[in-house]
Amino acid sequence: MIRIRGLSYVYALGRSREGRTALDGLDLDIAAGTMTILAGPNGSGKSTLFRLLSGLALPSRGSVEIGGFDLFAAPAQARALLGVVFQSPALDRHLSVEENLSLHGALFGLRGRVLRDRIRESLSWSGLTDRLPDRVGTLSGGLARQVELAKALMSAPSVLLLDEPTTGLDPAARRSFLEQLARLKREREMTILMTSHVFSEAENADRVAILSQGRLLAHDTPAALCGRLGRNVLVVNTPSEERARALLPSVAERLGHSCVLCGSEIRLELGRDEPPVPLIDAVLDSFRDEITGVAVREPTLDDVFVHLTGAGPGTSPFVPKPQMDLAS
Amino acid sequence: MTSPTPFAGTPTFRATTRDATLALARRDLLRFVRQPARLAGTLGQPLLFWLVLGAGLSPSFDAGTFAGGGMTYTEYFYPGMLAMMVLFASVFSTITLIEDRDQGFLQGVMAAPVSRLSIVMGKVLGGTMVAMIQASILLLAIPFMGFHIGPGSVVMIVVTLAVLSVACTGFGFLVAWSMESTAGFHGVMMLVMMPLWFLSSALFPLESAPAILKGVMYVNPFTWAMILLRAPFYGGPLECFADTRYLTALGITAGVVLLILWGGVRRVKRREKGLPLARG
Ligand SMILES: Nc1ncnc2c1ncn2[C@@H]1O[C@H](COP(=O)(O)OP(=O)(O)OP(=O)(O)O)[C@@H](O)[C@H]1O
Ligand SMILES: [Mg+2]
Repeated sequence: MIRIRGLSYVYALGRSREGRTALDGLDLDIAAGTMTILAGPNGSGKSTLFRLLSGLALPSRGSVEIGGFDLFAAPAQARALLGVVFQSPALDRHLSVEENLSLHGALFGLRGRVLRDRIRESLSWSGLTDRLPDRVGTLSGGLARQVELAKALMSAPSVLLLDEPTTGLDPAARRSFLEQLARLKREREMTILMTSHVFSEAENADRVAILSQGRLLAHDTPAALCGRLGRNVLVVNTPSEERARALLPSVAERLGHSCVLCGSEIRLELGRDEPPVPLIDAVLDSFRDEITGVAVREPTLDDVFVHLTGAGPGTSPFVPKPQMDLAS
Repeated sequence: MTSPTPFAGTPTFRATTRDATLALARRDLLRFVRQPARLAGTLGQPLLFWLVLGAGLSPSFDAGTFAGGGMTYTEYFYPGMLAMMVLFASVFSTITLIEDRDQGFLQGVMAAPVSRLSIVMGKVLGGTMVAMIQASILLLAIPFMGFHIGPGSVVMIVVTLAVLSVACTGFGFLVAWSMESTAGFHGVMMLVMMPLWFLSSALFPLESAPAILKGVMYVNPFTWAMILLRAPFYGGPLECFADTRYLTALGITAGVVLLILWGGVRRVKRREKGLPLARG
């Protein structure tokens, strides 16, 4: 459905002739009817890719086909297939929820009854159906975000591009939104490409693509990515992030492994087939009074991400969610 | 990788240029009425002009007759005032384009499958409607100004003002598109529009201007628009269209309007492009 070949984008930096390379020869294929999560550290080029995919900018080099249309040669046809949620808000705050949605629908040629039905349908997953007359400016950040998503659904696109759509949503809205996406994929065969920093969202995706410095590091199913890491992870829980930071060097030294800080956790990858028991013993031996727990678990996408992008201590942008601590 | 996958169930729609234009213009108008300060300013300005005109009508102000012929200066100035109001209302309505971009709204519109012409025309139509609301309030002064004009002339005046407004919003659009801040836009526009208006025969007649100024005034498209605007105050449609000077002005104005709109569409179509790659 989306076919990206050799895509590069270089931003101009002021007057200098050197630019900043945001995308560097990216190749990526997204199959029709699948959901792909695009992950990558801040500044890895995700939003730049979205700008190109939504036809707002032309690349330095490379090509993109959407549904068989060359995006850069036939932008209107390709755009007609797309629904986009940008990372920055794109609603008119002076207009009501309904007016915003109608306007967007009108841009896709919807009117009358179809338009009204579509508004209802695209809001059905959210808690906003009774807020149609409210000005968007009076909505909370998370609610406005929900309208933003509904707007992208207005055109019943065959390809949905979502740049961090769920930031600011509460857990219930987030779950509800993801369920809606899954339903659209299932019932309407929508192709979904979504960036996210929350890996629990990625676990239900068909594919995960990991981007770093404008290059694709990996593109596979979540299970295959975790399998590829092939090693279990030892997690040392501490009461606070400061405590974890303070303990990090001594733990690394005591265990003879490189460790990574993730919030209040210290994590380390076990060697292939390395028995964890001696390490657990060592941790309990030396740090028993300073930690709250130690566990071994299978690798999650979070670990794969840290492994691939080499996000160093404290630089991983992924704040582990509580349920991850329970997984083992 | 093969043929495009048809979208199961729901066909994909695309708006016609007309529908998209109307939807965008409607949104601009809604935004306009939702902002009380803007609304008050817009309605207040022509009322203020009414006051000025009222003062001007008193005999003490118009002691002698004006150099331009048997008319009073107030009478001469009235069309110029109309033009000025439309000029500024139109140009500054396009400031909203900069807000649209800053607030991300424009990004959403640009990513929609609408013709780029409708993005330009939506803004132009929205701005023109707002300017014409203002102009209509000032036009109500016509009967009190001592003009004796027929309905044909009134229609011509309204149409001319609308065309002028289209040109000015189009021009504002072009400038605003490449402008980073509203403050910069204000500065640039005052610098450009003030001299355009001063040297357009809105304030003083072309004929009485010194030779050098006359030359400048003739290349100012606004001068030609003033000729178009003034004519129906002194003659019906038949007389106007029989006048070669009027027809020349009509041709020039139409040409300028088309040029501006064409420039706008071209500008919107041009997409930002990444720098060429450094290495081979
Ligand atoms: N307008 C711009 N001019 C110059 N450089 C830019 C511009 N926009 C982005 N960049 C740079 O391009 C690189 C990629 O940015 P991009 O916004 O695509 O990252 P991202 O992956 O979306 O990050 P995040 O997770 O923070 O949203 C960054 O180094 C960024 O600073
Ligand atoms: Mg981004």
